[in-house]
Amino acid sequence: MSEAEAKEKATVKYDSEFTKKVYGMENGKWVKMCMQCGICPTTCALREKMDLSPRRIIQLIRAGRKDEVLKANTMWLCTSCYTCACRCPRGVPMMDVMHDLRHLAVENGIKHNSQSMAEVYEKDVTKRGRIWEGGLTLNYGLKIGLGNAIKMALDMQDVGKGLMLHRRLPLLPPKGVKDPAKLREVLKRATEIAQKEGGH
Amino acid sequence: MKYSIYPGCSSEGTAISYHHSAVEVAKVLGIELKEIEDWNCCGSTVLSSVTGQFAADVLASRNLALAEKMGQEDVVTTCSSCYAILGNVNKKFADDKFKYNANDALSKDSLSYDGKLKVRMLLDVMVSDLGLEKIAAKVVKPLKGLKVAGYVGCQTVRALREFDNCENPTFLDNVIECLGAEPVDFSHKLKCCTGIMAMTSPEVTISALYPILKSAYEAGADLIVTPCPLCQMNLDAFQIKVNKAYGTKYNIPVLFFTQLMALAYGLDRKAAGLDYCIVSPNNALKQWA
Repeated sequence: MSEAEAKEKATVKYDSEFTKKVYGMENGKWVKMCMQCGICPTTCALREKMDLSPRRIIQLIRAGRKDEVLKANTMWLCTSCYTCACRCPRGVPMMDVMHDLRHLAVENGIKHNSQSMAEVYEKDVTKRGRIWEGGLTLNYGLKIGLGNAIKMALDMQDVGKGLMLHRRLPLLPPKGVKDPAKLREVLKRATEIAQKEGGH
Repeated sequence: MKYSIYPGCSSEGTAISYHHSAVEVAKVLGIELKEIEDWNCCGSTVLSSVTGQFAADVLASRNLALAEKMGQEDVVTTCSSCYAILGNVNKKFADDKFKYNANDALSKDSLSYDGKLKVRMLLDVMVSDLGLEKIAAKVVKPLKGLKVAGYVGCQTVRALREFDNCENPTFLDNVIECLGAEPVDFSHKLKCCTGIMAMTSPEVTISALYPILKSAYEAGADLIVTPCPLCQMNLDAFQIKVNKAYGTKYNIPVLFFTQLMALAYGLDRKAAGLDYCIVSPNNALKQWA
């Protein structure tokens, strides 16, 4: 390794633009509010499965350590259980911050199963205004690729069978809202407003 | 007592027994529930990571605008996720800028929302507005001798913190007691079931469900009841997975609390929606169903 390469490797990349970007997001003000007390990781349902704790994520956002933040699995493992929000002395809704980070990770080309699910979910909402739980499973399967879908179908046979036998997974979509086109217009306008306001 | 009810998407699928039993029980209790006409999905905690927070908020608020068009009654929901989303969005309408922008978007569907309604969970309405005495007064078949684990889950008492106690909730156990059953104390009554992660990372869900089932089983519960659609589905449909992964033989029925109420109120098993249960409750409930 040349001296320049070694230096490059040892250098931590700070990206202050990244910090500004997160602060400017819809829940960015909460990132500023965190006082690093560490109660969130101690209450988190899935902390032991996360590479970085929610507290550490906030610290790294402030330090502009973009790559470490966006590559972490932390935001994907947040279940929105509100336990940390309930105990946070500053009332930070950490799950909302995590949702912003998912959005940002996707913008930066990071893929995750949860996001594939969210995309399928969004498609369903915009199509008929309501979720068709049976179709959601199917479309998620198509989204994650045939190989993965077959594996999931095999793995989940027992769960699926139970739900089907007890009429819990509707085979036909629900009727949905009367005019989904209007709903899409509302969403489009909301997105425009958010962009104008400097959010997503 | 009149309310607008927001059924939510799970009422048409995985939690069909919750919605139906809730409607039946409400009739017995004299709670009038009028469905919000043309309601849409609340977006759950999923949508905002695709659309951004504001657009997801606006979509959820469309339901509040529709409810306001119907009247000034509180909006009641049975689903804890819908409750979390609708309730939090409702609070944001106290901010004038948010309200202005949200109404700008809603105007595309000729709607607007003033922000004056309250969003409530059905469990809260029953206990706070009606009261335990009235809940108990309608019991015709007391569930004597039945040990019930009241699994509150995470979002119900934590999302808004406007009823019960988020660290030591008692509402669900109180209702169980009113029905003549015995609520058991178990360590995992407030732990998260991981919700929709069951689809994307089932192994994580299974590892979270195991200690919940274990603690309910060790506390001697004959069955589990919950006020949350995802908690019910995960504990019920994935119990077979937990058994395979941990070599256990759990066979604990998981019901919505309204299903148990329906039975205690003398309604038949169809009204209680017992056949939608995957882990059969027939043995545990044979005296009453």
